[in-house]
Amino acid sequence: MTSVARIAERVRNGGETAGAVASRTAAALEDSTGLNATLHWSRELLHRRAGEITERVSAGEQLPLAGVPVALKDNIVSTDEPTTCASRMLVDYVSPYEATAVTRLREAGALLAGKANLDEFAMGSSTEHSAFGRVRHPLDPERVPGGSSGGSAALVAAGVVPAALGSETGGSVRQPASFCGVVGVKPTYGRVSRYGLVAFGSSLDCISSFGRTVDDAARVLAVISGPDPFDSTTVDRPPIAPPEPPRDLRGITIGLPREYFPDDLDPGVRAGTDRTIAALKELGAELRQVSLPHTALAVPTYYIIAPAEAAANLARYDGVRYGQRRIGPNGDIRALYQATRGEGFGAEVRRRILVGTYVLSAGYAAQYYAKAQRARALIAADFAAVFAGGVDLLFTPTTPTPAFRAGEKTDDPVAMYLADIFVSPASLAGLPAMSLPIGRSDGLPIGGQLIAPMFHDEQMLAAAAVLERAVPAVEEVR
Amino acid sequence: MTIGADQVRHIARLAEIAVADDELPVLAKQLDRIVGYVAQLDRLPADEDAAPFNAGPESLRLRADQVNPWPMIGGPMAMAPESADGFFLVPRRGTGAEA
Repeated sequence: MTSVARIAERVRNGGETAGAVASRTAAALEDSTGLNATLHWSRELLHRRAGEITERVSAGEQLPLAGVPVALKDNIVSTDEPTTCASRMLVDYVSPYEATAVTRLREAGALLAGKANLDEFAMGSSTEHSAFGRVRHPLDPERVPGGSSGGSAALVAAGVVPAALGSETGGSVRQPASFCGVVGVKPTYGRVSRYGLVAFGSSLDCISSFGRTVDDAARVLAVISGPDPFDSTTVDRPPIAPPEPPRDLRGITIGLPREYFPDDLDPGVRAGTDRTIAALKELGAELRQVSLPHTALAVPTYYIIAPAEAAANLARYDGVRYGQRRIGPNGDIRALYQATRGEGFGAEVRRRILVGTYVLSAGYAAQYYAKAQRARALIAADFAAVFAGGVDLLFTPTTPTPAFRAGEKTDDPVAMYLADIFVSPASLAGLPAMSLPIGRSDGLPIGGQLIAPMFHDEQMLAAAAVLERAVPAVEEVR
Repeated sequence: MTIGADQVRHIARLAEIAVADDELPVLAKQLDRIVGYVAQLDRLPADEDAAPFNAGPESLRLRADQVNPWPMIGGPMAMAPESADGFFLVPRRGTGAEA
């Protein structure tokens, strides 16, 4: 797969037309049908979009992503195809407006390649909770690609597109990036507009990017980041600049939080992180053992805050404001709401709305929600203290195990939630974090995670680009 | 703490989600497992505290109070499942007669 920079350069200087890229992408999308990673794409749309790019290139526009195919997770709204959130609730829903990230990709000349499958409403860690069937792992169809952005990750890993957008609420880009052996970057909360990202947990949601390499993912982020008048939670800072990686990591202090290296860590994951830690040392980084004592609280905290926010955000799917309307048994408005929501939501979404409603209900809000807010503050304070102590970046495994088998965790929601144990803390703290491939164990990819202080996205990407050169991404570690 | 079928029925009503009676036992078991898991936050010592965490910029920016064109591909009526004479049609509230 050609890099993002190379495709854009060739399309800009006439080495290849956007139409040729569109034909290649259509063929790859067709070949990838078995992955079930795409929910909507069409040859006709690809060529129409390519035609527009060609006209702009001919007019002399210098487009940073000229002709670069980018897939969109299907919870990011675009106007000329449906946005379903992988839910029966939104079958055939076409948004009347476009997400800011999508507008910015189009303006940068990207070739919007199609809408990628996901866990329904981005709730899940395996992309098994899609109303349109599970996504297969590109290297082993019996395994899951991770989630909830599993379709986006699988498309990039299979070489169908060089980059894709996903979304993170509690690790939904880093975890599938790790499982699929690609790069996934979650920016600092507020650096990319959420306008047009279907809301799940508003204090956590972040549009994030996937690429085969750090540079690929970073070039997409560079285009979509920056303040947006349509999203008041965006921060007034310039877009994230693509990294200019230094030669080595001298002068950088990297913290290794002991809570992320438990005794029962999968042996392959441990071997991969050990090798990467040796590489960090070799590159001149100063390594320091650190502690983030409230790490174990992150998953329970997340599974109070995210469902609570989801219960509020998903109230709009009632068959009147949004959603495929079902008329209930009594024909009145409440029967309509209940029938619409009872039939439209899948099992996991329904579970989370019920949990969210429960933890916010009279008599329980102080016991759960208020306590979770306090735990969230303590988790964020742990990170702040470590960074204030002179640590520039943290390095951890992204996931406790490589990709698991389909069906392995579907019967126990808590077992599924624990797949996000290393990714949810940075989400709760709003920090930039990313996963990059650091090797394979029994043929399955392993991811390493970097976490940076708030707004240090560029430094994180630069260090990752240095590390990427030093660590063989597809080599067996044991 | 144990969540039973009655409690699930109550939560489902608050959440406006229809749940069939035969689904109640399984849902109760699953919710009990989840709520039992998150209840480990009870172990958080009462004296441990940190400054409240707020996602996003410390001071939210305000935009000018003016009406601007909204970049939509169609008007609101285009999104309505049913409409007539410039109104959205929904079932009548109350007696069961449909709109």
